[in-house]
Amino acid sequence: MTEITAQTKKFQKELNSGTSSLVLLSVLSHSREPMYGYQIAKLLEESGPDFPMMKQGTLYPVLRSLEENGLLESTVEPSVSGPPRRYYKITSGGRSILEEWLEIWKQTKKFVDAILKG
Amino acid sequence: MFKTVEEYLDALKNEMRDADSALVQDAQADAREHLSTALAVAREAAPEASEADALKKIIEEYGTPEETASAYKEVERRTSPALKQTVKPRSVLGRFFGVYTDPRAWGALLYMLIAFVTGVFYFTWAVTGVSVSVSFLIFIFGFPFALLFLLSVRGLALLEGRLVEALLGVRMPRRPLFSHQDMKWFDRLKALLTDKATWLMLIYMIVQFVLGTAYFVVIVTVLSISLSFIAIPILQAWLGQGVINNNDMRYFLPTWSYPLLVLIGFLLWTTFMNIARSIGQLHGKMAKWLLVSE
Repeated sequence: MTEITAQTKKFQKELNSGTSSLVLLSVLSHSREPMYGYQIAKLLEESGPDFPMMKQGTLYPVLRSLEENGLLESTVEPSVSGPPRRYYKITSGGRSILEEWLEIWKQTKKFVDAILKG
Repeated sequence: MFKTVEEYLDALKNEMRDADSALVQDAQADAREHLSTALAVAREAAPEASEADALKKIIEEYGTPEETASAYKEVERRTSPALKQTVKPRSVLGRFFGVYTDPRAWGALLYMLIAFVTGVFYFTWAVTGVSVSVSFLIFIFGFPFALLFLLSVRGLALLEGRLVEALLGVRMPRRPLFSHQDMKWFDRLKALLTDKATWLMLIYMIVQFVLGTAYFVVIVTVLSISLSFIAIPILQAWLGQGVINNNDMRYFLPTWSYPLLVLIGFLLWTTFMNIARSIGQLHGKMAKWLLVSE
């Protein structure tokens, strides 16, 4: 039994590593205001309360790498309590990449669904 | 399991002990931001619950230190730092002359030139800041002044780190070091003064002056000697000048040596480019050691 859960966990993790960039980019493209990590994590949690898609801690390195590739930009603002927060915003380059990614996602989804149906 | 955010951060640091120290610093900043925010929200919702209980649930959602550490390592493996490239194995000669196509060599050269300017600035800033801060300490306003100066040192260290990463290709922090917002400014000053990182940064600012000057002198000297060798044929054949002009005596080198002289100039500069690349890497290591707190 534990063998299966480990396998399933690994499968979930591998799927997530592909989709998390798409999800984060999409969340930030819908938001009018720049968002910080905790806000994004909460929003994801509310969107799928029964679906523990990924640990919140794994969002941050993905946000960082998206920023490094110029798809997001960020600013640090001091917060009333605790450490300063990093607010992320999608760039125009990020928006055009997102459109391409969405197209790929649609095609992948269609393909996988078709195969699974048999 | 973890009673405070600090305990989690320590565990995370321990988990990432083999990772790049700059990556560790970024991971710490992210975790601190998330956990503190989540904890503040949880406290507001249920003030009677203990911090440890609230934290347990938060960490369950955030991920264990192992999970968080592996996520950072995974992403870092996929995104390479600036100027990093896969090196194909080449022959000794290929490596020697290939230096002209290596962005790290040109980056190091540019950095060494810039280091002269930044070195002078850092040195002036550090020496003026330290001496003015110390003498102002007899006044009340000396303390906030010292605090501002030490904070400026942190800022400059971060900026220097960005420069080092861009030109030398050594991974440096992309987040400023955290300092507690809720501390009184006097406590903050004390924390900065007792932090080893502050002093290492000041040492770097002073050392940069010496190194920057040395780099500049060496670059200018080697460049002029190399160019002189290459220019000898032009000087002698077209301009009629000798290698040595002493009053009425002009000393000429024979024509057959022209190709040799050009070759010597070219080889000298190529050798220096190779050395510059190594100096750049060494300087990057030193910057990492002094500017990135463990």
